[in-house]
Amino acid sequence: MKPLRPTLRDSFRYVAFTLSSEEPVRTRDLQTEIFKAAKSLFGDVGVSKSGTKVVMFDGTKGLVRCHYRHVPDVQATLATIGKIENNRVRATVLGTSGTIKAAIEKYLQIDERIRRTISSYVTVPVSGKAVRMRGKEIDIIPEDREIVDRADVQFIGITIDDNERLI
Amino acid sequence: MTPDYVDISVHAFPEGADTPKRLNLVARSLGFAAIGVTAHSPYWSQLSDSSAISGIEIVAHSVRDLRKKIAFFSDTAPIISVHGGDEQINRAACSDDRVDLLMHPDRGKRGGLNQVTAKIAEKNGVALGLSFGYFWKTREIERSRALALQHQNVALCQKFGVPLVITSDAYSHFDLRAPRQLKALARLLPLEDKEATAALSSAPQNIIKRSTQKEKARV
Repeated sequence: MKPLRPTLRDSFRYVAFTLSSEEPVRTRDLQTEIFKAAKSLFGDVGVSKSGTKVVMFDGTKGLVRCHYRHVPDVQATLATIGKIENNRVRATVLGTSGTIKAAIEKYLQIDERIRRTISSYVTVPVSGKAVRMRGKEIDIIPEDREIVDRADVQFIGITIDDNERLI
Repeated sequence: MTPDYVDISVHAFPEGADTPKRLNLVARSLGFAAIGVTAHSPYWSQLSDSSAISGIEIVAHSVRDLRKKIAFFSDTAPIISVHGGDEQINRAACSDDRVDLLMHPDRGKRGGLNQVTAKIAEKNGVALGLSFGYFWKTREIERSRALALQHQNVALCQKFGVPLVITSDAYSHFDLRAPRQLKALARLLPLEDKEATAALSSAPQNIIKRSTQKEKARV
């Protein structure tokens, strides 16, 4: 079949995003979740119009393709994702580009701050076990689960400034 | 130039899961200039951080209790917001000019606001706090119901000139969202881009200005 002429093809935009999560997220699970979130927010018709589709995802950052008029819809869809497979996540939009190449060059060339696994018992500001560190951010598994249950997360989040002994 | 965005109502450790410093760090990386930490009880606001604006979200079980608590906190807390929901509490909060913010009046059975409360709120300079947490915490029936009630309140506030404030009402850094994403969600209410920008920048900044003026007056 003859390919469509460029003027007749749909124009797309590529939305670059980063994903912060408690545990690593698989690409398949993210794809399913983005589709479910878009379907729940805009319905089948809305998803078919916006053409939302995950183009690439490497575990922490990725690209979503959509129709050029539906970029805010994708931004809203990514904002409504709060959990993937009982794992709290936050998807943050970095920016939008017209081509995959430009999106990667502009937004996805960021330095990765590597998450280190640590293990030390802390008492400030909560008693528990500090398990990992990323930049200035430290995650603690508390002994008392009340706070994490209330916030529906697994870890208490502090920074190095909250507990200077952890440096 | 991008305006200075402020998320005026987040809940920090020990009420939420992250310390004010952690929330501030994440919020700044998302594009916020500042955050306001409002605790539901003074018991929760043990960890104060100079980089975050502190406030209180008053939870009252009756109008009398609310008035008592407003009188008590108006001298100490820079930002006074009221945990809305009950229609009588919503109305009492709107009638008091010491209140800065009425959070989620739509938590009750109905929208929680009507033309009378909206007019009083406008007169007393009480802003309506739109908590966007339900967008990522709920789905389907619950979310569409919340969206419908918020839609009704936004229309009322637009008609009577009540300032709107968009907040994430976060209990952890996973509940924070970037300003541009909150604006994309605000489009669904529907709020225009200009209105959403004001609800994230100038409206919360006015609340902060008001609190500093009040403090000066007290001194």
